[in-house]
Amino acid sequence: MSAPRWIGLPVLAAFLVAATVTVQLREGGGQYEPLKPPSACHEHAITPQASGIEGLTEQLVLIGLSKAACSLTLSREEFVLELAQSGEVSGRQAEAIQQGLLDAVEQMSTDGSLPHASDLLDEAMTNADLHPIAKRAIRLLPDKAVNGAVKVDDVLSRAISSLDIQTLLRNLTDQDEINRQVEVAVTQAVKDSLIARAKELIPDIPGI
Amino acid sequence: MRRVATPLLAITVAMVLADSAVVTLALPDILFHLNATVGQVAWVLIAYNIVLGLSAVPSAMLLRRASPSGLTAMGIAVFAVSSAACAAADSIELLIIARCVQAIGGALALVGCMVLLVHRRGEHRGLSTWITAGVFGTAAGPVVGGLLTDAISWQAIFVVQVPFAALAVPAALAVRADRHVVPDRHRPAIRSNLTQAFLSAALTAALFLLVLLLVEGWKHSPATAAITVSVVAISALFAPPIARFFQPPPTVEVAVGCFLVAGGLVGLALPPSSHLGWTIAPLVLVGLGLGLTVDRLTTMAMEARLPQAEHAGWTIAARHLGTVIGLAILTPVFTADLLDAEMPAQEAITALILDAPLQPQTKINLAQSLGSELTAQRGEVPDLSPAFERLVVNADERAAVDRLESELTDQLERAATLAFRDSFLIGAGLAGLALVTVLIPARRREELS
Repeated sequence: MSAPRWIGLPVLAAFLVAATVTVQLREGGGQYEPLKPPSACHEHAITPQASGIEGLTEQLVLIGLSKAACSLTLSREEFVLELAQSGEVSGRQAEAIQQGLLDAVEQMSTDGSLPHASDLLDEAMTNADLHPIAKRAIRLLPDKAVNGAVKVDDVLSRAISSLDIQTLLRNLTDQDEINRQVEVAVTQAVKDSLIARAKELIPDIPGI
Repeated sequence: MRRVATPLLAITVAMVLADSAVVTLALPDILFHLNATVGQVAWVLIAYNIVLGLSAVPSAMLLRRASPSGLTAMGIAVFAVSSAACAAADSIELLIIARCVQAIGGALALVGCMVLLVHRRGEHRGLSTWITAGVFGTAAGPVVGGLLTDAISWQAIFVVQVPFAALAVPAALAVRADRHVVPDRHRPAIRSNLTQAFLSAALTAALFLLVLLLVEGWKHSPATAAITVSVVAISALFAPPIARFFQPPPTVEVAVGCFLVAGGLVGLALPPSSHLGWTIAPLVLVGLGLGLTVDRLTTMAMEARLPQAEHAGWTIAARHLGTVIGLAILTPVFTADLLDAEMPAQEAITALILDAPLQPQTKINLAQSLGSELTAQRGEVPDLSPAFERLVVNADERAAVDRLESELTDQLERAATLAFRDSFLIGAGLAGLALVTVLIPARRREELS
């Protein structure tokens, strides 16, 4: 006895539904969702497009943001959105950013990705508010002397520690104001670093 | 006039049922032109279905007490005048009121057309014409509405109905059907009507949610959405020959139809990308399911049941109240899911901008531009292109910026698709419930009735 012809209808329907859903699932159906940002505590590959001081700054900021977000148990993206949407940076957030940037300097120093002072000297002199003769004299210094005198990690750590992060982020739309604040902090950091270095080398000179 | 009465009455049936979903694709335009809220604009759809569902049975009762031709003509005339009022409405409140009146006229026209078609063509052919016109109207409604909105305006949807309805008034009067006093002999077919109600709720998910996803989520034009949804109507046409070939028992035909609708909705919940091609196969399943179920269920609910007009009223009530239940269940779900999808979308966009191979200053400018655009478009799936158009970039960064724009748009489409997933799955669940109502063994008394 053969099966009635109508059996073919549910069989055809089951085949069509199974084929449709199977093909869709195999092609990634069910996973077509927004990108899930990785945990901020995991190492994140950063490839800055800018070079020189701007590239270094971008790298520090991106690593620093991840480290700050990690310390606040947020993803980097959640933290950035929180900063962008709240309008006001809390003391806790500012502290996390500052510590994140310091940790970023340490990480780059450890893994050797921090440039030497001599690599940044030319660009720094172009932007520096110094007499042309002084700029020229500094440029004539051999790389070894420059790198021996100015330790980039030390300068950066000093500059970051002296920055008022809350004020800095409040003026995020005012590029000139940010540049001014950073320049003041970096200049002071270079001076302090040089003095500290001199103290290390010649500890007995009175008055320094 | 008597010669063209049948096609005009069939067109009226298709129009009244098409109106149930005809404005789906016009809702964004109505929202904009009448300065309405999303909640208000949803009532343009809900009000029509509630009133049509509630007034179908009373309309059928009324038809037993007066001349069917006169009452049907009156219903069609009310439908025509209120359609014109819908087109002329300059506020959302007026439009909703006009839609309620349109549904009252529509209910009377719908049940009356059934009586007149049966009178003209005999019970079997008359009912068949009435059911086929209804299936065609239900499936084609969103397509026609979308095309008219895109080509002309949302008002055109209502304007084009007026001449057809106006011609159908004398056509109804030309059919001299006598008043038949038929006593209440049969109870409404609870099972078939319940299946219709669940299935209508599921089909609401397929049509209403899909056009929203296509237009609002994937940013296609109403015309593109209409053409995509037309797959449902075209596939529904293939269902009768398939059913004729296999000759299944009615219960099997309906069960298979419910299963196909459920399967199609699962397929719509799981697209691998926002490419329109991925909606085709699920829509074919939905269309075949629609074609296998609606006319068969209507026949099962009305066949050999008297008075026929009243049973027609019960099936219309079940179908449209099912649509309302579908909207009532699904609207809050996908609205909440759209809000929930905002954060993952923002995080994905932030990640892509932070890691984009662009100069820091370009990233900052882009972030500011996107920020103001997202604030301006709050409450809807945003269109990011204005932010990118405003951005001034160097020629060497143009390619990277263009790539970033397409990546960000992809993230938004992913978020929108995810936001609709649960609603489509709930729709599949409703079709599954319809299947359960078919599969539960019938009690002997019900079988006999």
